[in-house]
Amino acid sequence: MDTYKKDTRRTFLARTGAAAAGGAFLFDIVPARALGLQGQPPPSDIINFGHIGIGGRGRRFLRPEADLGKRVPAPTNLGGDGTRILRPARSMALCDVDSQRLDQAATLVGGTPKLYKDFRRLLEDKDVDAVYIGSPDHWHALQTILSCQAGKDVYVEKPACNTIEEGRAMVTAAERYARVVQVGSQGRSQPAAWEAANFIRAGRLGRVRKVTCWHYASPEGDWTPDSDPPPEIDYEMWVGPARWLPYNKRRTHGSFRWMIDFGGGQIRDRGAHVMSIANWIMDADHTGPASLRATGEPPHDGMYDSAVTMEVTYEFKNPDWTLVWAQPGTPSTELDARYGAVYWGDTGNLTVTLGDGDRTSTEQRVKDYSAQCDCGKVFRSPGHSENFEDCIRSREKPIMHMEAAHRVATLCILGNIAFQLRRPLEWDPVNERFMNDAEANRLLSRPGRGPWHL
Amino acid sequence: MPDEKKFLADIERDDAEARFAAWRQAGEAPATVLPHLGKLAASEKPGVAKAAREAMSTLVHSVGKQTGDAKRAAVVKGLLDLAGAAYALPVRVHAYRLLATIAEEDSVPAISKEIHNPELREEVVYCLEMIPGAASIQALTASYKDAKDDFKPRILAALGHRRASEAVSLCVEAMRSPDKEIAMAGVKAFGRIGKKPAEAPVYPDPQALSDWQKIEQIDSMLRYADAQAKEGSVAEAMQVYRSALERPEEHWQCAAIVGLARIGTAEAAAAILPKLKSDNSTVRITAQNAWKGMAAAKL
Repeated sequence: MDTYKKDTRRTFLARTGAAAAGGAFLFDIVPARALGLQGQPPPSDIINFGHIGIGGRGRRFLRPEADLGKRVPAPTNLGGDGTRILRPARSMALCDVDSQRLDQAATLVGGTPKLYKDFRRLLEDKDVDAVYIGSPDHWHALQTILSCQAGKDVYVEKPACNTIEEGRAMVTAAERYARVVQVGSQGRSQPAAWEAANFIRAGRLGRVRKVTCWHYASPEGDWTPDSDPPPEIDYEMWVGPARWLPYNKRRTHGSFRWMIDFGGGQIRDRGAHVMSIANWIMDADHTGPASLRATGEPPHDGMYDSAVTMEVTYEFKNPDWTLVWAQPGTPSTELDARYGAVYWGDTGNLTVTLGDGDRTSTEQRVKDYSAQCDCGKVFRSPGHSENFEDCIRSREKPIMHMEAAHRVATLCILGNIAFQLRRPLEWDPVNERFMNDAEANRLLSRPGRGPWHL
Repeated sequence: MPDEKKFLADIERDDAEARFAAWRQAGEAPATVLPHLGKLAASEKPGVAKAAREAMSTLVHSVGKQTGDAKRAAVVKGLLDLAGAAYALPVRVHAYRLLATIAEEDSVPAISKEIHNPELREEVVYCLEMIPGAASIQALTASYKDAKDDFKPRILAALGHRRASEAVSLCVEAMRSPDKEIAMAGVKAFGRIGKKPAEAPVYPDPQALSDWQKIEQIDSMLRYADAQAKEGSVAEAMQVYRSALERPEEHWQCAAIVGLARIGTAEAAAAILPKLKSDNSTVRITAQNAWKGMAAAKL
């Protein structure tokens, strides 16, 4: 592996700290670059990122070396309104189990990033300050926990976890090591969600008693035969902690999400966006439903096993409100979008569409209200990635902190369990256990395979 | 289930919709359909194999809610048969995965039989790890001695995941192994269980560990300290936290500060105090937050 010797935030701090302690700092010749002259940010201001999983979504987080020192607008697909300039950062280490994707990412970044196929080697690197994790869902928990153990701050893609036990372990790891963990439900960082939060929390709909989400159905899948994995993929590592399945190109990379063991269908993929905004607006980031029921249909045939259509109804208590996840459900009549949520209040209702990408939107009257209201009470994220990077410095909790993300993932996981078991479930959100259902409680956890354990 | 023969015939039909209609109703079928479903689950026709697997799962879910039910016992018995050598490997794997969700302690001896079978041992340990109660822990512990070295870490991981206090001495023994993989698996399980052993644990020499193993070892020590603090063994925990505070790595200092703040005694506060002026801003902020938290709790 190439190990380039640029001064990093960590080595700079350690070196200058040691020099200052020894009284030698004032007499050193400090290069202009180290002081932030010549248009370059000083190394102490540069965040060194490692990237784990860089094929699809993960590629969006890469920082091309050529951009260092330039005023680069933050991409709106990570939230924010596009006016913020990115903080100086470098993608110094890249990791993927697919060597083709790794090479493509290295080309995109430029310079001489360190390249890894085993994420643990990347985490050992003391020059890496923080990591972006864009691997498949079944890796999110373990890679986040191990990143915390290695002292890295973490931006991990949504959904946070595949089981309730994983989510709680992630919360514990972030707390134990005082790490900043941001989960990639970036809708909360988008202006429309903030405007809607202001509007609803100010009581402009009266009391909201119901939130109904709609989303198109999951695919049925076909019968693509299993095969040997292609040489560029380390499939053993790709499966990692999940239960073993033979390689199939229609179950890996983007298609993993239609398998319960790896992903969990639309409710986990997009539910982690739409229901994230709902939980935030409804101030439910530290609790969960008291009961739920699910209906719908799995694929009648084909290799996938997550719900094609489903409707999950969650009942919250104290305060009482109902959350419905429905695929396809009933779209809003106010705004045209493929997915989103309607907030039903005593005195009116409001649509907030999407929740990912850069297209979250809401109704004009809400934008008008936010423009003139005293909206200081709801935190406004500058953008999801920007909020993460701000928190790396401030050590504050980011807007989609681990507890909030775990609670949103819990909704998705519980929905799938109720769908799978085809019976209503009672949930204790404090102890995070089902009541009076032995089988359902066993599904809250999933032992890791081989060497991969929480 | 009006007609068992028709149900099984529908599972085998070429019409995917007919198969689907059948397996969605499988919860009404008796456990006696399981042997035939086991054969169909090995079908070369993927749609038929899927329908049979889904029917087995549906049948299991129909009896999963309450323990002690007669039909549930019959379904478990049927699954144990499907896990036997008479059936194809993928069917046996599926049976173990279903047993993991409904089998009880009385099934542990039958499930454990294949724990040394290289093709099935991962599934067996997964299954035992999921079955509550002492019997599964005893089975895992008992299997350790005869397990091949490459599989001993997996058994230790299962015991650690189960927080099996009965296995603490086994973990301590494993920590002394000359095989680094086994020793580290012992360290990790010991940290996760978090119980004080009868004899003092001897950790592997850090000089002989890889960078990653060092990270895992210190994490395990911190987990152990957290568990000890939670149990009220403050002195044991303080020792680990004080050691972590001396490390240069900021996240280990932070972990110690967080742990000490939870203990919240005057002695713990005194240990945190110097970190309020740490040169490292992350450590300093963590200490400040801990300090504020302790003050808020009026400790």
